[in-house]
Amino acid sequence: MAYGPSQNRTGSQQEHREPNLIPIMNLFIVIIPMLMTIMVSVHLAMIEITLPAQSAGGGNGEEAEEQVEDLPKMITLALFPDRFEIMVEGDKGVTEIPQLSPGRHDFVTLDKNIAELKLVHEKQGTIEVLPDPTVRFDTLLRSIDICKSNDFPNIKYLTALTKYYRAK
Amino acid sequence: MKRASVKVDRSAGSSGFTRRSRGNKTRDLNITSLIDILTILLVFMIKNISMDASQKNAPEGMLLPTTVSKNELIESGKAVFVKIYTDKILYGAENIPIGSLQDFISSQETRQSLLRLLQMEAKSIMAMHSQPCLLIQADKDLPCRYITEFIKFSAQASFANIYFSTIHSENKEEVLGI
Repeated sequence: MAYGPSQNRTGSQQEHREPNLIPIMNLFIVIIPMLMTIMVSVHLAMIEITLPAQSAGGGNGEEAEEQVEDLPKMITLALFPDRFEIMVEGDKGVTEIPQLSPGRHDFVTLDKNIAELKLVHEKQGTIEVLPDPTVRFDTLLRSIDICKSNDFPNIKYLTALTKYYRAK
Repeated sequence: MKRASVKVDRSAGSSGFTRRSRGNKTRDLNITSLIDILTILLVFMIKNISMDASQKNAPEGMLLPTTVSKNELIESGKAVFVKIYTDKILYGAENIPIGSLQDFISSQETRQSLLRLLQMEAKSIMAMHSQPCLLIQADKDLPCRYITEFIKFSAQASFANIYFSTIHSENKEEVLGI
């Protein structure tokens, strides 16, 4: 025997019941500050540099000469407070990139020059960077970044050698 | 502003509550729109969240340079942090103060203590069959003299792998200064 619908059921159908959002609100109030504290606003990156290895020197005969011919030419980028200088091993000329205005290096021209060098020296993947002691760290890293983004992944950081001579 | 209240009539029968008159009806705060905003915020935050601890360690009070390219730490490498501010040097994750930059350049005592710290750290990393890596976090206005000096110095303590910490950007024009 079938029963009719209960009083409760008919009541709930007629009455519009809103969902209880307070527990959800409580959850959100806890989660959102927690996420805000652990959210990364700046993404840090790392730029790798290599130190120049000490050359062993020597070499023997024709074989060594042939190997030297095969080696790609070394490219050196010198950073000065007022200009950039690019030197290619064996070339007499030095490409100078003067600064745009005092304290403003011309990174756009440097980028173009490095890109052109990559086209000429396809096999070369290393650039030696020699910064002047007064050059800002920002200039150094921007220059390294330009080299790396133009497919020169290995950056050798050159440090000027200090030699001490003791008088006899 | 009307105050919402619920009166309980204890003297009443089984129902317990008095009925409100129509004019005294409570108005619930509509929090549905607020929930909508919070849901969007939550989704956005979950999308952007990074659990990588090293990504969060931007040193306080230091302006890092911006770069497009980035490298990963070498396999089996373990990094030692050095923070070089324009006025001080802090060593390690515990931010041990080493001294000022002038001390680092001129004071033999400061250099010796830092060298000892670096050598000890390098030794303990190598004992764990890992490669010691030095992660330099330096202010963008710092002259390269100190960086060069620090690199030469760390090479003495068997740190062959040197990394510079930067802020990563996808925009190359930012790096080129356009």
